[in-house]
Amino acid sequence: MNARSLLAALAVALLPGALAARELPKSALQNYVPWQDETVHAFEKLLVQEDGRVKPIYTVARFTLLQFLGKSAVSFQTQDGKDHRIHYAAWFLDVLFRGEVAKDLPVFIVDDSEVVVQIGVSPKSKRDRYSYNELLPGRAKLAELGAQYAEKEQKYRDSEKDPQYELGRVEGMILTLARNISAFDYLLGQFGFARQDGFLVNANILPPELVELSKRIDIVEMIDKMPEMGVDQLVQMVRQPSGGSEEERMFSGALRLFFFHASSASVLKFFPPQDEKEEVWITARDLMLAGLESKAQRPWAMEQLAAVQTLTKAQKEGEPAFLAALQAYSQKQHETAATRGEGTRAGLEIQLYRGKWFANSLVCFILAFVVMAFSWLTPESKIGRTLLLAAGVLAFVGFALDAYGIALRCIIRDRPPITNLYDTILFITAVAVLLGLFIEYCTRFGVGTFVAVVSGVLGMFLSIKYEAKEATDTISQLQAVLDTNFWLWTHVTIINIGYAAGLVAAIIGLVYLTSRFAALFHRRENADFHRALTRMNYGVICFCLFFSLVGTVLGGIWANYSWGRFWGWDPKENGALMICLWTLVILHGRMAGWIREIGIHMNSLVLAIITTFSWWGVNNLGVGLHSYGFTEGVWGALYTSWAVLGIFMAMGIVLWFQDREARLSKRVGAAV
Amino acid sequence: MPRRGVPTTEPCASGQSGRDGWLSRPLPLAAALLVLLPACGEKDTPGLVERPLSVSEKNFRLVDSSMERFRYTARPAASAGTESGSATPRGLVYDTPEGWTEKPGAAMRDVNFTFGEKGEGECYVARLPGTGGGLAANVNRWRAQMGAAPLSDEEVAALPTRPLFGQPARFVAVDGTFSPGMGSSETFPGYRLVGLILAADAGAVFVKMTGPKEVVEKNGAAFDQFVSSLDVKSN
Amino acid sequence: MAKHPIDWSPKNWPRLLYGFFTSFKLATVVLVFMTVVTLLGTLGQVEHGLHSAKEKYFHSFFFTEKIFGVPVLLPGGLLLMILLFTNMVLGALVKVRKRWKGAGLLISHLGMLMLLAGGFVTWAFSTDGYMAMYPGMTSDRVESYREWQLEIVPLSPEGEAEKAWIYPAKLLETMRPDEQRVIHAESLPFDVVINGFSKNATPVPVSAPIAASVTGKEIDGFKLSPQKASKEAEQNLPGCFLEIRPRDGGDPVEAILWAGSYKFDPREKAMPFTFPVGDQLYGALLVKKSWTVPFSVRLDEFIFERHPGVSTARNYESRVTRFEEGQSDKALEIKMNEPMRHAGYTFFQESFGPSGSQPGDEMYSQFAVANNPADQWPLWSLVVTGVGLGVHFVIMLVNFTVRSRQRRSSPPVAP
Repeated sequence: MNARSLLAALAVALLPGALAARELPKSALQNYVPWQDETVHAFEKLLVQEDGRVKPIYTVARFTLLQFLGKSAVSFQTQDGKDHRIHYAAWFLDVLFRGEVAKDLPVFIVDDSEVVVQIGVSPKSKRDRYSYNELLPGRAKLAELGAQYAEKEQKYRDSEKDPQYELGRVEGMILTLARNISAFDYLLGQFGFARQDGFLVNANILPPELVELSKRIDIVEMIDKMPEMGVDQLVQMVRQPSGGSEEERMFSGALRLFFFHASSASVLKFFPPQDEKEEVWITARDLMLAGLESKAQRPWAMEQLAAVQTLTKAQKEGEPAFLAALQAYSQKQHETAATRGEGTRAGLEIQLYRGKWFANSLVCFILAFVVMAFSWLTPESKIGRTLLLAAGVLAFVGFALDAYGIALRCIIRDRPPITNLYDTILFITAVAVLLGLFIEYCTRFGVGTFVAVVSGVLGMFLSIKYEAKEATDTISQLQAVLDTNFWLWTHVTIINIGYAAGLVAAIIGLVYLTSRFAALFHRRENADFHRALTRMNYGVICFCLFFSLVGTVLGGIWANYSWGRFWGWDPKENGALMICLWTLVILHGRMAGWIREIGIHMNSLVLAIITTFSWWGVNNLGVGLHSYGFTEGVWGALYTSWAVLGIFMAMGIVLWFQDREARLSKRVGAAV
Repeated sequence: MPRRGVPTTEPCASGQSGRDGWLSRPLPLAAALLVLLPACGEKDTPGLVERPLSVSEKNFRLVDSSMERFRYTARPAASAGTESGSATPRGLVYDTPEGWTEKPGAAMRDVNFTFGEKGEGECYVARLPGTGGGLAANVNRWRAQMGAAPLSDEEVAALPTRPLFGQPARFVAVDGTFSPGMGSSETFPGYRLVGLILAADAGAVFVKMTGPKEVVEKNGAAFDQFVSSLDVKSN
Repeated sequence: MAKHPIDWSPKNWPRLLYGFFTSFKLATVVLVFMTVVTLLGTLGQVEHGLHSAKEKYFHSFFFTEKIFGVPVLLPGGLLLMILLFTNMVLGALVKVRKRWKGAGLLISHLGMLMLLAGGFVTWAFSTDGYMAMYPGMTSDRVESYREWQLEIVPLSPEGEAEKAWIYPAKLLETMRPDEQRVIHAESLPFDVVINGFSKNATPVPVSAPIAASVTGKEIDGFKLSPQKASKEAEQNLPGCFLEIRPRDGGDPVEAILWAGSYKFDPREKAMPFTFPVGDQLYGALLVKKSWTVPFSVRLDEFIFERHPGVSTARNYESRVTRFEEGQSDKALEIKMNEPMRHAGYTFFQESFGPSGSQPGDEMYSQFAVANNPADQWPLWSLVVTGVGLGVHFVIMLVNFTVRSRQRRSSPPVAP
C-alpha cells in the first residue's frame, strides 16, 4: 500500500471534521449571561437519587442533554450576534433556576424536518436544533401523536413484533421528541414552587388570574396555614367549583396552585428522607404532600422546601449570593447523605466525566495513528522506527487513560469492570490495545502497533457514539441475578478478553490480506512478512480460544449455580459457543491441511463476524432491550461492518486461487 | 392390589417419576425391574400407573359445573376476550350489553363493540402495559379528537372517577365534532365521547365509547353495565 | 505431494473407517456444522421459542431448514456431538502420538470429552421441575414445568383421594387430535376414552360470540377451541374430550378436560371433572407430572426486596427448614447464586408470585428443583481443559517468542 496516498486519504477523511464549524442556531434570546465557573461547580455536586442510585446532579445533567441533543454542550447565537457554547451542567442550572432562558435554548435535535411539519411547526433545515419555545405551537399535537405512537410501540412489543404495529422512521422520531419535551416540562417545574415570580410551566394553559396569584403566594408558608389533609382530600377540594366570595376564590385558587406545583415537582429525588432507614429519596412533591398530610412532618418538610426557596431567592439577588447559597445547601445535603453512607463518591463521578478520559484516550489513539502513518513513509530509516515507537507510546497513553477511566468506574460503583454493554466497549478496547502492544513488544515490526492503534480508535469512537446514542446513565444498578462480584470478575471479564482477541485476529487478517493484495500490483512479494503475520494470527486465535472457552464454561458453571442448568442454548451462550467452535475449526482445519496462510486470515474475518454477532447481535434478537431506534442502528452497523469484511474475503478468494496456481505450477516444475 | 410381594406401583412409578430413576440405580436392579415391568397390569393399558397420592396432591375442589371448572365463575354470558385468545395471555371476561354487537378486535383494541341502529356507535377496550403515555396526555388526546381544548394537569387530576377492575379510573365525557384520526380525515359533528382511563402501575386500560350524542346517551346504562362486568380471566 | 491411490478393498475397510473417524478433516467438518447449527438454533429461537428450537436443532439427529427458500437436510446437534465425541476419543486420545509437546492438548481434549459426556448425561438423565409454596407450607413434591398427565381419582364426598390411576405424560403427549385411545384398568369399574387431545386449548362457552367459529362437540355449555402452541412451552394448557364407559352397562358420561382446572397457586386446589360410578364418586383431570424428593422442605419466611424507588427486584430469598428421616431438621437459606444442594437434588431460588402482587401482599416462593448426576462435571472438565490449554499455551508462547527474538535481528520489510 502506498503510504503517501494513505496520508492523503486520511487528510480527506479528517477534513470534514475540521470544517464542521457550521452555522449556529439562532436563539430568540436577546443576550445570554453565562454562569460563573464557581457557581456551576457548586451546583454540579448536588445529589440526586435516580434509578436506585444516589449520584451528582452533574451526571443527571449530562445524560439529559445527551438524550435531548445528542451532544454534551449546546451552542447557539443570541440576537446581539454573540456566539455561546454552554456545557451540560450550566445548561441544567438554567433549566432549574432560569427556566425562562432555558425555554429559548435550542436543545432538541430533530433529525428530519418532517417531524416538526407534522406537529404544525414551521421547519428550519432538514436536520436542525429547536428550542422549547419554537416547538411550543405544536405541543398539543405532539402530545397527541406521542401518545398514539407510544401505544403503538407498546403493542408492537407485546405482539412480539407484529409488523402492523411497527413504527415508521418519522413516527419513532416524533415519539422520542414527545418524550423529551415532556421530560423537559417536568424538569422546568422542579423548583417552580420556590420561585414566586410568575414563572410557571405551561403557564399558557392556566387562567391568567392563577398566574397573577402565583406571584403573591408563598407555597411553603401556605402549608403551615392549612389543616391536615391527604392527597385525596386535596384533589377533592381542587375539584370543587370555587365559591362566590373573593376570599373563597382566592383560597380555591391557592389550592389549585399548590396542587399544580406539587404535580410538576415530581421528578428529581432531591431530598434524603427523614427516616434514616428509608432508602428512597423523595421529591419536592412528596415533601409538599407529606407536609400537608401530617403536622408531625410539617416542620421538617417545610425546612427542606424553605432551603430550596433560599436558593431561588439568592439567585435573584445576584450570582455571589447564589454561589454562597448553593455551597451552603450542597454542604448540608452532603452531610446528611454521608450519615446515610451515600453520595461519598460523587466527587469521583464528576471527575470521571469532567476528566474526559475516554475522549482524551481517543485523541491519543488518533495522534498515534497519524504518527504511525508518517512512519510508513520511511519504514526502515531511523526516523521511521522512532516514529513507530512514538506511536506505540501514544497508544500506551491512550490505553492508560482508558484503563484509568475504567478503574474510576469500578471504584464509583464498587463493582468489577464490566456490568453492562457500555462497559464491554471500554474493556474490550483496552484489552485489544494491550494485546497489540504486547505483539509489538514480541515482534517489533509495526503490526502490533497498528493493531493497538486501530482498535483504540475504533473502540473509543464506538464508546463515545454509544454513550451519546443511549443517553442514559452508564453506571447502572444490577439485576438480582448479576449481583455477584465473583462471577462478574471471572466469567464476564474472561469472556470479554476472548472477544477482544477475536477482533484483534481480524485486524491482523485485514493487514495480511491488504498487504498481499497490494503486493499483486507491486510484484513485490514479502513472504517472510506474511509468514510472520500468519504465525502471529495463529497465536492470537489460540489466545482467543483459551479465553473464550474458559469464559464460556465458567458462564455455564455460574448458570448452574444460579439457575440449575449448565447450558440452556440461550442466545448469549450460543454466541460464545460459536466463537469457541470457529477457533477450533481454524485450528483443526489447519491440522487437516485444509487451511494454511490465507485460510487462517480469511477465517479470522469469519471469527470477527461471529464475535460481533455475539457481542452486539444476540442482544438485539429478541424484544429490543433498548429504544426502538437503537436496535435498528445496531443491525445497520453490524451489516455494514460485515459487508466490509465480506469485501476483504472476496479479495482473499482471489489470492487463494493465485496461491493455488502458484503451487500447481511449482509442482509441475518439480515434475519436469 | 399388591402382587408377588412387590408393591404394584413400584416398577411403573419409577417410570412415572421420569428420567431421574433408571440410571441412578445399580444396573442389576434395573434389569430386575425390566423383567417385572410387564407383570404390572397384564390386562391394563400399558403404561398406566396406579399409585397412592401424597399429602400435597390428595385434596381436590369439587365443583358442579364446567363453568366453574374452567374458571368462568359467576359469569354466565362471558366470552374469551380477544378473537384468537392467543394475542393476550390474560383474556378479558365481560357481559355483552343488549343491543351491542361484538366485532373482531381491531388494531390496538382488545374488545370492540358497535351499537345503535346502524351500528354508528362504537365502544372498545384497549390495554397497555405502563401508564400509556400518562393520564393527562391521553385525556387531552381524546379531547383533541372531539375538537375540545386540552385540560391542564390539575384539571385532569380533578376529573371524576369510576370503578374499573375495582380501581378508580378517570371518567371523561366530551361533546363535539369527532375526528377519529388514524388516517381518516372524516369528521362527525354532534358526537359524544364517553370514556374511562385507568393508569395503574400494572398497566393502563382505556374504555372508550363514541357515537352520535343521543345514541351514546341512550346507551349510558349499557356502558355502565359493561364496565362493571369487565374482569380479567383468572388463570 | 503425489497422492497414493486409496485401497477400497473390503479388507481395508476397517482401516479406512478408523482413518475417517480419527481424521482432522472429520473434526473440522463437524465443528463447521456445529457452528452453523448453533447459529440456526439461535436465530430459530426468535421464531419458534426456546423449547422447540432446542428440540429441533440441538436434541436431534437431523433436521431440515429452508435456506433461501430451499429445504436443506442438516445434521442435528445430537448427531454432531456424538461424532465429535467419537472423533475426539479415537483421534485425540487413541491415535495421537504421545509427546511432551502434545501433553497440553491431550489433557485439554480429555477435559472437553468430560464436558460432552456431562452434557449427554444431563440431557439423558437429569430432571428439572419446580416447587412453589407460601410461608408455612411443607412439601416434598416437585412439579414439571410443561408435562401434563391424565389422572383418575376415587373421591370422598369432601374431595379427598388416597390414590390415583395415572396415564403418564410421555404417552398422553403423543396423541394426535384425531386419535382415540381407550384406557383400561382391571381395578376400575369403567373404561376411559380420550380423544380430541390438543397440546394447547381454551374452553369456550357456547354463549360467547366466537364459539360459533369453534367446531367440535358441545358439552355442558362449552366447546374446546384448539390454540396454536405457544412459543413458551410452559404456557401451553392442553385439553381433551373424555368419555367414561361403565363396564356394568351404565350410561357413558362425556366431559371436556382442560389443564386450566389445575392449581396454579400453591394455595389452590385442582378441580376435577366428577362422576359417580356405582356408589363411588370419581374425578378425572389433567395434572402436571410430578415426582418426590427424598426429604421435605418447609418455607419459613420469604424475603423480597426491590431497588429503592424502582421496580427491579434487588434480592429475594427464602428461609427454609429441611426435614429428613433419620436426620435432625436443618434450617437453611436459599437465595440467588446460593442454592441448596442435598441428596443429589439442587434447589434454586427461581421465582415468586402471585404476579401483580402489591407490597404487603403475602407472596409465595418458587424453587427450581434439579436432579443432575453430572451437576459438577463441567467444573471438573473446566479445570482439566484449562490446565491443558494453559500448559499448551505456555509451550507455544515460549516457542513463539524464542523464534521471534531470533528473527528480530533481521526484521522483515513492511510492504
